[in-house]
Amino acid sequence: MELLNNIAHYTGWVYPNETVFEWSVLIAVYPYLTGLVAGAFTVSSLYQVFGFQRLKPVAHLALLTSLCFMVFVPTPLLLHLGHPERAFNSTITPHLTSAMAMFGFFASFYVVLLILETWFAYRPFIVEQAQKRTDLLGRFYRLLTLGSYDLSEKAMRYDRKWIFSLAIIGIPAAHGLHGYVGFMYGSLKSREWWSSDLMPVVFLFSAIISGVSLLAVLYVVTCKLRKVPIDLACLKGLGYTIWGFIMVALVLEGLEFANIVYKGREGVEMIMQYVTGPLLVPYFILQMAIGAITPLILLSYMIWRGTTGRALIAGVTLCASLVLMSVFMMRWNVVIGGQEISKTGKGLLSYNPLIFGKEGLFMAIALTFAPLGALWLISRVFPPWTDGAAASHGH
Amino acid sequence: MPKHIFRLVSLIIGIVVVAAIAIPFLTVDSFYRFGHYRADSVSEIAAQEPAYQTSRYCQSCHAARHAQWSAGNHKTVTCEVCHGAAQGHPGNGKLPIPRDVARLCTLCHEAMPGRPATQPQIQVAQHSGGQQCNVCHNPHSPKIAIAAAKVAGDAAAGKQRAAACASCHGADGTSPNDTWPNLAGQSAAYLARILAAYKSGDQKDVAMTPLAQALSNADIQNLAAYYAGQSCKSPARGGGDVAAGRALAKNCAGCHGETGAGGNPAWPKLAAQKPGYLANALKAFKAGLRKDPMMAGVSRGLSDADIANLAAYYAAQTCQPTK
Amino acid sequence: MKNDTKPASAARREFLGKLGRATACAGAVAGALGVLQEVSAKTETASPGASFPTKDYDWTKHQWAFGVDATKCIGCLRCVEACKRENKVPLNAHQFRTWVERYVYLEGDENARIDSQQDPVNIEASGSQKEYRFANRYKDAKVEKAFFVPKLCNQCTHPACVQVCPVGATYRTEDGVVLIDHTYCIGCRYCVQACPYGARYFNEEEGVSDKCTWCYHRITKGLQPACVEVCPVGARVFGDRKDRESPVSLFIRNNRVQVLKPETGNAPNVYYVGIDKEVN
Repeated sequence: MELLNNIAHYTGWVYPNETVFEWSVLIAVYPYLTGLVAGAFTVSSLYQVFGFQRLKPVAHLALLTSLCFMVFVPTPLLLHLGHPERAFNSTITPHLTSAMAMFGFFASFYVVLLILETWFAYRPFIVEQAQKRTDLLGRFYRLLTLGSYDLSEKAMRYDRKWIFSLAIIGIPAAHGLHGYVGFMYGSLKSREWWSSDLMPVVFLFSAIISGVSLLAVLYVVTCKLRKVPIDLACLKGLGYTIWGFIMVALVLEGLEFANIVYKGREGVEMIMQYVTGPLLVPYFILQMAIGAITPLILLSYMIWRGTTGRALIAGVTLCASLVLMSVFMMRWNVVIGGQEISKTGKGLLSYNPLIFGKEGLFMAIALTFAPLGALWLISRVFPPWTDGAAASHGH
Repeated sequence: MPKHIFRLVSLIIGIVVVAAIAIPFLTVDSFYRFGHYRADSVSEIAAQEPAYQTSRYCQSCHAARHAQWSAGNHKTVTCEVCHGAAQGHPGNGKLPIPRDVARLCTLCHEAMPGRPATQPQIQVAQHSGGQQCNVCHNPHSPKIAIAAAKVAGDAAAGKQRAAACASCHGADGTSPNDTWPNLAGQSAAYLARILAAYKSGDQKDVAMTPLAQALSNADIQNLAAYYAGQSCKSPARGGGDVAAGRALAKNCAGCHGETGAGGNPAWPKLAAQKPGYLANALKAFKAGLRKDPMMAGVSRGLSDADIANLAAYYAAQTCQPTK
Repeated sequence: MKNDTKPASAARREFLGKLGRATACAGAVAGALGVLQEVSAKTETASPGASFPTKDYDWTKHQWAFGVDATKCIGCLRCVEACKRENKVPLNAHQFRTWVERYVYLEGDENARIDSQQDPVNIEASGSQKEYRFANRYKDAKVEKAFFVPKLCNQCTHPACVQVCPVGATYRTEDGVVLIDHTYCIGCRYCVQACPYGARYFNEEEGVSDKCTWCYHRITKGLQPACVEVCPVGARVFGDRKDRESPVSLFIRNNRVQVLKPETGNAPNVYYVGIDKEVN
């Protein structure tokens, strides 16, 4: 029987079994989504835990964004699995030596945490809607109240404590959810390009900048769509956050690459050939130059000059968009790039993504944008806006 | 504690408890028995049926073939390598007998850099000219094991005895006409073998059979020694295209040498032999009148024109002086 | 709101409700603990006397190992085809349980030219993806050194693939073979990524990962793996290390053997004789 998927072309010497790419673009989308989840939650926590008051306008939006992306996180994995109906095997009999087994637990725990935090954050709103509405949606809200309409001072004190605790627990939970992916790659001995102690940390910091950038873009876009003025202090706060974390992310990624080159282990010639050849544009130009260094310079400039007004909005939005692109390229360069360097250290393969099909480019794009659709839907039920008529719900 | 907190916590605890209870029920049977895997899986894998049955299985029905094979030097090549896995045989019918034998044999025996020198290897074009391997080689015992037997005859005694042969084969072993072969300079081992074959009846010829039967074994040895020591004469002419014959003769070089001289002494030298005799002999092999399984296979595909050309070619070659 | 004093009946109802919920929770927890107890009791070795995995074969009595003599291999690829037939491996030139690599140094070469069954030139030589043959591409070249190296799963003692399987679908048996449970594998292919030797592949038709098993279904019946059975030159050696006179024990004892990529710490159990600096 002929192979169903496409065979990779290669140069040099590769093992026969390597000519089929096992992890497709969807496996690059997956850490991208969990990264956005972790990053968005970081924004929410910066407000809830660390008291960055200026981020209040986006706090609830961040929570909802995190939740919406979290819901879609399992989809690339389920589409990839050979037996998705057996997916729960990793939760029923998790093999604790495997980082991947942690997914079921991190994901379930984090989804529950997100739902709880959203519930607590919106409880006054839910109670109010439950009492006001008489339609089907009203029944939905009444169900969510768990039968309690208690909004007394005592109840709200409990709620605040819960929100705070959840936000604190949520930080390691979200970062565990995304960090284990980095560990999955970093702990493997088989590929020099992946094997690194820094991998989980690199993944985490790039996740944070992607999530914050996503919030920046979403905030600007939703304000424009709703025709309300943008809170510049909030946007500037997001910009500062991106700026700070980009530097850390760049240092870590630079260190990782420098380590490979400096140590010069067996196989490094092939890595150098790869990085200066097929990976030149995706890595040095897209991920680094355009996607990380340019935003860093631009943000530095805006901070130095005290840019404000429309220039600030345009600048931060541009930087955020570039960062979003850069972080996706980082996932691509790790997942696909790692497989393009042969385990023999003597050959290179080239990945030809399918356009259609359950692991094709169209699916990857769909899965990346579908959470935005979910976000639009959920914001009708749980409006995250802190301005205008819907500002009556608690913090 | 406010009502909603209590209910929330109860709900969460309830879900956790249900999950904790459910997990053992959802865990498949025999998991954790020996470790973090399903123990039954080991038994299931061990119970799968093998496809290759080994040559012992073939022996039970194909005893004679098995005996021939296990005595030969292909005994390290099990039956199923060439005939395919025997699972289900004979119930599922016969196992395939390879048709394109050369394609199969060259997998192992084509000369290729990287193959150790201990592996018998051939340059395919020069060895067989694309001919099927089983024309000469029996795949079950492929070594062509005719070793040239040592001939220890007395040439002088042979000369005396040879007087009776001179009328057909010439006084010094050079035949006077085209039909009967030259014997001068012929390989002694071959002469001894063919005379013995005529004597025993393995080979039949109207003229040679009674003559050979009159010979003793010592006579045969002496005659062989005598004729082998004679000098062969210069090439003969015969009808037929020498160039065409040369092209065909590539297939014969493996046993008879490139020019029909200097091959394995177990087989006859052909260089400067009478073309008429050569042609008749090939036709006789082809028709099965002269018995030799290898020659029968080789001559099967030859047309009369081919035979004439081959005869002409070999007749035109210079035979080497006897050693 | 509802914080004022409640009527007595409502208070009783509330109390009973709380008591009922508490009892249910306690009962559930007790039940869970009981069941978990039963589960943990399953993690033990088999009761003595019961032969496992089959009644004719006891896995505690064997420790399998494999030897490869690369000085003998002629690159005929009978092993590759036999393995595909024996184990129903997909019939293409890109998924193998075992394969043979050819290393050729031409005059003046610093590095070897390496090719194997997935090379398009070799696929063309055999004419199809279902049959395997090395194209005689160096027959007119000035070859300085050349040899063939059969490769297969090393059935490591500390397998990276077993370590990373999230569900426990791949595991190491007591007799030293790493197997895959095709009914439990979820097809995530993490093990395929983790193997440093490229021994694993993903069977798309079955949706599970797969690899060489040293023909476990044969060796537990006293047969040899199919590749060992068909090798005409004895380049593959198999046997039980618990038997000092088995072919593989003799092979290891009488030769200077080495393993592939020892720096991974996987402790592979395929021992090579006659390989070269380039082989990894």
